[in-house]
Amino acid sequence: MTDLTLGRVTADRERLLALLQEYGVYLGVVVLFLVNTVFTPHFLSTENFRTQAVQVAPVLIVALGMALAIGSEGVDLAVGSVMALSTSLLSLYLGYGPGIAVVVALVGGAVVGVANGSLIAFVGVQPIVATLALMVAGRGLALVLLPQLKDVHDPAMAELGSGDALGVPYVVLIAAALALLVGFVVRRTTFGRSLLAIGDSRPAARLAGLPVRRVLILVYVCSGVLAAVAGVLATARLTASDPSSLGNLMELSAITAVVVGGTPLSGGRIRIGGTVAGAVLIQLLTTTLIKHDLPPSWTQIAQAVVIVLAVYAARERGKR
Amino acid sequence: MKPLAPRHRTSARTLLATGLITSLALVSGCAKSEDDTADKDKGSASQSEQGQVVASPSTGSGPTCSIDAYGAEKIDLKSATVGFSQSEKEANPFRIAETASIKAEADKQGVKLLTANAQSQFSKQISDVQDLIAKGADLLVIAPLNSDGWEPVLRSASAKHIPIITIDRKINATACKDYVSFIGSDFVEQGKRAADQMIESTGGKGEIAILLGAAGNNVTTERTKGFEDRIKEKAPGLKIVFKQTGEFAREKGQSVTENLIQSKPGITGIYAENDEMGLGAVNALKGAGKKPGAVKIVTIDGTRNAVQGIVDGWIDGVVESNPRFGPLAFQTLDTFTKGEKVSQDIVIQDSAYTKDNAKSDLGKAY
Repeated sequence: MTDLTLGRVTADRERLLALLQEYGVYLGVVVLFLVNTVFTPHFLSTENFRTQAVQVAPVLIVALGMALAIGSEGVDLAVGSVMALSTSLLSLYLGYGPGIAVVVALVGGAVVGVANGSLIAFVGVQPIVATLALMVAGRGLALVLLPQLKDVHDPAMAELGSGDALGVPYVVLIAAALALLVGFVVRRTTFGRSLLAIGDSRPAARLAGLPVRRVLILVYVCSGVLAAVAGVLATARLTASDPSSLGNLMELSAITAVVVGGTPLSGGRIRIGGTVAGAVLIQLLTTTLIKHDLPPSWTQIAQAVVIVLAVYAARERGKR
Repeated sequence: MKPLAPRHRTSARTLLATGLITSLALVSGCAKSEDDTADKDKGSASQSEQGQVVASPSTGSGPTCSIDAYGAEKIDLKSATVGFSQSEKEANPFRIAETASIKAEADKQGVKLLTANAQSQFSKQISDVQDLIAKGADLLVIAPLNSDGWEPVLRSASAKHIPIITIDRKINATACKDYVSFIGSDFVEQGKRAADQMIESTGGKGEIAILLGAAGNNVTTERTKGFEDRIKEKAPGLKIVFKQTGEFAREKGQSVTENLIQSKPGITGIYAENDEMGLGAVNALKGAGKKPGAVKIVTIDGTRNAVQGIVDGWIDGVVESNPRFGPLAFQTLDTFTKGEKVSQDIVIQDSAYTKDNAKSDLGKAY
């Protein structure tokens, strides 16, 4: 009798946990949203939504690339440095016009991606170590190229950073488009399928004849380019290139967004919707604490709590 | 990993390596940035830079230090080797101007200078200073990253009786025993003067916000303390309703201010503890469609961009924190090594930029 009740309780608990893992991040967003609606003055205004959306965009774009890397059972620690590198390159090449400068910045991101991917796919270095190397090197290179903050006066860049189409800022439109694109790639393309297969089990993928190396390199190129896009957008918003502080701790924010969003660190599964919600959740959390003027250290503690909860969920998932 | 035919592998690697190197070469080779001409103007204008002026007389009031008390030997500064250890990456204007000033003064005096940069890592600064001593520095000028943790260095320096001067930040040790003297600004005073400027701009009434610097840094705590004390004492009508960190960075200053002006639309003034955050606040106000001067901004540091902000009408006042330690540091070393007394605490006088002098003094900003 006792055994039976216990069994049912565990089953309920497991189902609840599974549900929480699946939809917890959306629940978090809804709860924070409601709390803010009630307690934060001037929260329900278009201006506020616009600000929040604009602020979350770079993190979200980086997190999309990070989701791909994590889905392939890797991680890309170099994203913050890639943002710094792209802002340096952008500023250095702006003399040729914004179009060319943006292309150069994105190529810079792709080159870092190729380096990361090659180290992982050809040399066989662990992703965390390979991208750690590029994280240090990328930031260093960015500072060599542009030793200090430099203003960006180009009107096209300013328009990209603060302009909008039909009331929706370009930055937000770009982030939304990229989220849809990455979602499509993961679900509907051979590349996306191979990526997940490799993330699930690399030996099995290789035995099945998948082009493991090519896919892995492409994953890190995507991650690098997405980080470079985020770097360009952040520069446009700031109207200045600041390679020493741009993208600092961005890799952690991105990993948090991905993990909180329910993508397991063990690879083989990517949740793009969850990643978007994860990024929004962290943004709302930070905003709530700032708007209520709570001590800055609280923000860090709150973020830590969210990460611990997410890791706890991931652990449960790993067990089953 | 599945073994591959060696030749294939080598060629792939070579290809990648060549590709990476070519792209690196391209990057540095044909760069063309936006405003090269403006930078040249900046270069020539900074010739007119001002050295620091001592606020408290170098001897007289306050405890002093002489070469006998310190236990070092007299040397001629001209023939000495001076070691300079910079704390942070030279990525912000303050650090760039500080290092440049030390180098320029060493050149002028004909002193041999050894430099090291700790890249914001304290352990590296400790080994930097030990390296400088090993390389034969007779005198040391240190811009400390932290105030604590200097024991190992001070021990090896005092074993060799090397006089040490710290600039811009203090170290927690005994003056005239572990180091000779400290040259720097009074950060509490800077905060007070920023408060005075804020009271004047706002008329002493309204709600104001503080953009704090990085947490756990004496610059942040002292600039906050000075500001809050003076506001409490002189303008009880000014309420500090918002205090958030912008981590001394423009981007963070901008995103925090964006949130601030939405949750508290009636804000009258923003005190930014450095120029970069102040400029971020200006960006945020521009983005929100505010007019210049609608929100009063007071910042500390005196970088060129911020002073330009006063000229453009966005910023109301900038309290200077003078980074040009070169002349004063070498003068102090000279006096000390000749055997005369120097003050243990040399507080420098910082000027300020307001609407009245911003345009004419723009060339003095760094």
